[in-house]
Amino acid sequence: MLRLLDDPTRYLFFTGKGGVGKTSLATATAIALADRGQRVLLVSTDPASNLGQVLECDVANTIMAVPAVPGLSTIDIDPEAAARAYRERVVGPVRATLPDDVVGQIEEQLSGACTTEIAAFDEFTKLLTDQDLIHAFDYVIFDTAPTGHTLRLLQLPAAWSSFIEENPGGASCLGPLSGLEAQRVQYADAVRSLRDPAGTTLVLVSRPERSALAEADRTSAELSTLGLDNQRLVINGVFEAHDLKDPLASALERRARTALAGISSRLSALPREFVPLRAANVVGTAALRSLFAAPATDTPDFADTTPDTALPPSLGQLVDEIAGEGHGLLLVMGKGGVGKTTIAAAGAVELAARGLSVLLSTTDPAAHVADALGGDVHGLTVSRIDPREETRRYVERVLATKGKELDEDGRHLLEEDLRSPCTEEVAVFHAFSRIVNQARRSVVVLDTAPTGHTLLLLDATGAYHRDVMRTTTVPADRIVTPMMRLRDPEYTRILIVTLPETTPVLEAARLQKDLRRAGIEPFAWIINQSIAAADTSDPLLLARAAAERPLIQRVQDELSGRIAIVPLQAEPPIGPQHLRALVARPMPKARFDG
Amino acid sequence: MRLDVFDPAMCCSSGVCGADVDASLVQFAADVKWLLTRGVAVQRYNLSQQPGAFASTGIVRQTLQADGVECLPLGLLDGRVVFRGQYPSRQELQHLMKLEGVS
Repeated sequence: MLRLLDDPTRYLFFTGKGGVGKTSLATATAIALADRGQRVLLVSTDPASNLGQVLECDVANTIMAVPAVPGLSTIDIDPEAAARAYRERVVGPVRATLPDDVVGQIEEQLSGACTTEIAAFDEFTKLLTDQDLIHAFDYVIFDTAPTGHTLRLLQLPAAWSSFIEENPGGASCLGPLSGLEAQRVQYADAVRSLRDPAGTTLVLVSRPERSALAEADRTSAELSTLGLDNQRLVINGVFEAHDLKDPLASALERRARTALAGISSRLSALPREFVPLRAANVVGTAALRSLFAAPATDTPDFADTTPDTALPPSLGQLVDEIAGEGHGLLLVMGKGGVGKTTIAAAGAVELAARGLSVLLSTTDPAAHVADALGGDVHGLTVSRIDPREETRRYVERVLATKGKELDEDGRHLLEEDLRSPCTEEVAVFHAFSRIVNQARRSVVVLDTAPTGHTLLLLDATGAYHRDVMRTTTVPADRIVTPMMRLRDPEYTRILIVTLPETTPVLEAARLQKDLRRAGIEPFAWIINQSIAAADTSDPLLLARAAAERPLIQRVQDELSGRIAIVPLQAEPPIGPQHLRALVARPMPKARFDG
Repeated sequence: MRLDVFDPAMCCSSGVCGADVDASLVQFAADVKWLLTRGVAVQRYNLSQQPGAFASTGIVRQTLQADGVECLPLGLLDGRVVFRGQYPSRQELQHLMKLEGVS
C-alpha cells in the first residue's frame, strides 16, 4: 500500500505527462479510500480522459456513482464541452437578433484555446468551492490533465486575481474572462484551497526516465512558485529484468536505475514511492485494487497469444517518399516524451545523407536537438525557436515601432498588454511562419513543441490567415499564407509520433482530430519505442509487447493509412550512425512476423 | 458627455494579440485614456464578449443588420454615430470634443 494513503488530505491532485499512469494511480487511490468506507469523488479534467475505460463504467459530466465500488463517484470535465457551453451562454441570447455573419465572428473569437482553458477552469473551481459537494464527499481526487495543461489551469487564477484588481477597465487579452468575472471570489477560494498544505496534496507521477523526471522536476518547481508546496513523488512503471541474459531488458533496467540516481535535489527531497511495471494495462476494478498490493508476481506466467500479423514497415520507407520531392516542410508532432526530437533528428540526418539540403528546427523548449545529433552533419543546418527569446525580441520590436508615437500613458498600456500570455504565441508564430516559407527551396524538419503548444501555434496561424484575408488589398488568389502552406499536402507533411500505449494513442488521435478540424490531414503516424518491434526474450517485456498489439492494430485499422514503427532501443540513439540505424533497422524476424 | 465604442470581435482592446499589432488600436486605447482624463465617460463593448450590448442598442443592431461587421468600430457620442469603420485620430477626437464644448 502506498504511504500516500496513510493520512491523505481532502484534495489529491495527480499530475504528470500523458502516459505515466496518472489515471490508474488516481483511480486506484480513489478505490482504496472508498474501500475504507470513505465517500470519494474522482474528477477527470483530462481532455483525453480514459477514466471510463479504466473503470469499465460510464463516466459523464455530472456526478455518477460507480456501481462496482460503493462510496466512489466520478465526474468527467471535458474542457471542450465546457467551452461550447460557455460559448452558447454568450452567443445564445443574441443569435436571433444579430446577423449570421456577426454571430459567426463572435463564435470564431470564442473558439480559441484560451476560451477552452478558462471554461474548464471555471468548472474546476465550482468543484473546489461548492459547499454541497464539500459536505457530500470526504475526499476529492483529481486525475488532472497532462502537465502543461494542468499548469495553465493552476496558474490562471493567480494571474486573473491580480489582473482583475489592476485592470478594472477589463481591457485585456484575458478577454473571455469578462463573461466569468462575477466568480472572482470563487477563484480566490479555489487558489486558497490549492495552497493549503493541510487540505491539498499534489502527487507528481513520473516514469523512471530522464525526460519524465525532468518534466516532474519542472512541474514541481512551477507549482512551488505558485505556492503549492505539499508535493509527493510516485515513480510508476519501475522495470526489473526477469531474463538477465536479455540485452534489451538489462539495458532498460540499468537506464531506469541511472535515471533515478540522477534525480534532481528538488525531487529527491519529496516523499517518494515506487509502483512496479505491470505486464498488462491496468483496466478494471480488480486490477486497480491489486495495483498497490504486493510487488508484481503476475509477470513470468505469460504465453504469446498474439496473432501473427505483420507489423508496420520501418521509418525508411517514409523517408523514401519524402525524399522524392527534394523540398518541403516536415512537421513532427506529438505529446512531450514520445520521442519527437529523436524522430525529427533521425529523419533529418537520413534526408541529408541522401544529398538533400536540410534545415532541422525546433520550438520545443525541452528539446535538445544538438544532443541527439552529437555533432555536425554534412548538409544539415540546425536552428532553434526559443519561445522566450522570440517573445523578448517581439516585445522590443513592437515597443520600438508601434509604441514610438505614443505618450507615456499609451506606452504604459501597450507594455501592460504585451505582458499577456498571447504575446508568446504571436512571437513564436512569427518565427514559425518564417521557417514555413524556407521549405520552398529546401527540406525543413520542424520538431514541434508538445501538442497543446502545437495547437496554439496552429491556432495563431489560423487567426493570421483570417486576418490577412480580411484586411489585405492583394487579390485573394495571389496570397499564400502559412495556413495555406500547412494545408497543402504537396508542401507540408505532418508526422504524428506516438507510443504503443493507451493514453499516448488517445492523445495522438485527438491531435489528428484537431488538425483535421483545421483542414490539415496528417501524412503518416510513427509508432515509436515499440517493444513488439524490438528483439527481446524477457517475459515481462514480451507481455508488454503483446499488450501493444491491439493498439498497433487500432492505429492501422482506424487512425492512419500510412504507418511506420520504430523499435525500442536499448540505448538512446545519439549521433548520426545510431540515428540512421533507427531509420533503416529491419523488423525483427520470426517471432512476430512468421 | 458619453462616448460608447462598439469594437469588432477581438480578444483585447489594444489588439496586441492579433497576428500583428494594429497601431490604430494601440493609439485608440491611449486616446480613450486621454478622453477619460478630460471627463468624457467612455464605454467600450467588444463584440465577442458583450454581444448583448450590440443587440440591445437599436442603432448598432440596425447598422450591423444593414452593413455587417464592416461597420465596426462604431462610435456613439451621446447616442449619435460619430465614427464608423475605423477609429478616429487624436486630432479628430479633439475636434469632436471642441464642437461639444470640452476643452
